[in-house]
Amino acid sequence: MSLSPQRRFVTPIAGESVEDLARRALPDQPATEAADAIRSWNLHVFAMRRPAGLLLCSDIVFVEPPRAAAAL
Amino acid sequence: MYDIVIRNGLVIDGEGGPGRDADVAITGGRIIAVGQALSRGRREIDAAGKVVAPGFIDPHTHFDAQLLWDGLAQPVLEHGVTCVIPGNCSLSLAPLRAADRPAVIGMFQQIEEMPPEAFTERFAKWTWEDFAGYCQQIGPGLGVNVAPLVGHSLIRLWVMGSDSQQRPATDTEIAAMQALLEECIGDGAIGLSTSFVDVDANGRPVPSRFADFRELDALCAVLGRAGGRMLQIVPEFYDVDLTVARIDQLADLSLRHGIPTTFSPVFDSRTTPEAAPRILARTEEQVARGARVWPQMQTRPIDISFSLLNPSLFLARLPNWWRLLRRPLAERQAALADPNVRADLIGDCGPDGGTAIFGGLLIRGGDRAPAAYVGRTLGEVAAERGEGAAEAVLNVSLENSLDVAFLAANGGHEDTGRIGPMLANPLVHIGASDGGAHLASFATYGDTGYLFSEFVRGSGHLSLEQAVKKITADPADIWGLSDRGRLKAGLAADVVVFDPQTIARDVERPVFDVPGDGMRYVRSAIGVQAVLVNGEVAYEDGAYTAARAGVICGLETA
Repeated sequence: MSLSPQRRFVTPIAGESVEDLARRALPDQPATEAADAIRSWNLHVFAMRRPAGLLLCSDIVFVEPPRAAAAL
Repeated sequence: MYDIVIRNGLVIDGEGGPGRDADVAITGGRIIAVGQALSRGRREIDAAGKVVAPGFIDPHTHFDAQLLWDGLAQPVLEHGVTCVIPGNCSLSLAPLRAADRPAVIGMFQQIEEMPPEAFTERFAKWTWEDFAGYCQQIGPGLGVNVAPLVGHSLIRLWVMGSDSQQRPATDTEIAAMQALLEECIGDGAIGLSTSFVDVDANGRPVPSRFADFRELDALCAVLGRAGGRMLQIVPEFYDVDLTVARIDQLADLSLRHGIPTTFSPVFDSRTTPEAAPRILARTEEQVARGARVWPQMQTRPIDISFSLLNPSLFLARLPNWWRLLRRPLAERQAALADPNVRADLIGDCGPDGGTAIFGGLLIRGGDRAPAAYVGRTLGEVAAERGEGAAEAVLNVSLENSLDVAFLAANGGHEDTGRIGPMLANPLVHIGASDGGAHLASFATYGDTGYLFSEFVRGSGHLSLEQAVKKITADPADIWGLSDRGRLKAGLAADVVVFDPQTIARDVERPVFDVPGDGMRYVRSAIGVQAVLVNGEVAYEDGAYTAARAGVICGLETA
């Protein structure tokens, strides 16, 4: 049985900001747009986290939006 | 002559095969023979009409503190559980320096809803710091077997101090953590637990969450070198994409280091019905690759009770309520009468005044609960009082010294028709009881009885033999507890004798036996005749005995 495609993610590197991470994960997108996309796909980190703005190296950070259920 | 012979029962040996009429002979704490017409024992137990099975194994508990004052882990033993696994979710009580005890107690309070007094009042002699010391402290009084995990947050805190909640570890620190984990395993730990979701008493992520993957990988290398020890994690269980990502990480760790892994909890939910099936589907794919990844699923529905006497998970999503319940009682009562505080609390609940959150709750009791309200929904009572639902929670509580308990029943994981097939799935590890935690929110005891009453006798999704296997031989194999989980000559004599027609969990009820006069909800066992731990009768006919034959299982396999 092969692995079905799942939502792609990366984990942050120590000291990396969301902008750094966005540049690494989405190199073909404009920087601001990429960072905004990363934020919007990862509310568990960027909206729910306390203290706000804390990015952990153990975090799962999705680099694409949720996949449609039928595509999973 | 044998020490004990359990005679005339239906032996279900844990392997999953059909039960058979047989006797079980025990001597010196070991099963000596399973067969018919065995010779006499000094003690004979008549199990006619009953099932004789291996003792049940509970793989996800937080009895770390309770075992210090109650070596029976009551009431888990009376439900037939003869082996518990504490130390889950990155938290254990060792290795832990004296100076760091308050921080770790705060984590237990925050995450597992255990009062600080549970850690301090009954054991003034908190002398241990290392894992060996903890095992030596609990060892002599054990009536139940204990297979403890060591918590990643504790390992990190020991090596890095306050930096454990600030940054990733250096190479030197990772090496020190590896050495410490190795030492803990030598001292009785059967594996490592970590958390990707929990926060401490101040709302800051627990130490394990500051680890990078390199650190976790290095610790798993230790687990691999120690013979393939377990890694347990608590993932971001509220989100299926995140949980699937963690499954993939666990699978990679399992394959690279030759270790078993498990994650908990997995809930079925009406609001996200696709979640649990997706989790099981991904698990199946990873297992097909050769990874050992075990999703843990509880049998019981989610019921949460709360009062304004204690902090509660139920109120965690309401920040003003959460903060209020962490204030001292007198201060809290005064605040509840303050119009500004009340406005903030009601404001937390949205424009409907809390109807959606509180309206369906049942007023279940409490010493001061008005009899006219008990058994009715809060929505009814609020309407009768001419108040909004949140306002009614505040007023009814305040009028009765806060000692009014509310129940959110069937808050998820309650659809037997969906859950039964999942529990029967060979990929699913039945567990996640959280035994010994969430004291004032729900009873974490009796999940095994509920398995038989609901899913064997009730829905029939599992046969008696399948159900026994799921909570005996299966967990023994998953966790490497090779001396337990089966009724087989030569193995430890952990045995439960129960009535297959009646075994169940009793109703949830409050008791006040937590140090510091604390309350917890418990459930007694129904239909359990006798429980033997290492060949000694620990519970029989509704009463605990003086036997204290439990051991630290990790020391047997170290």
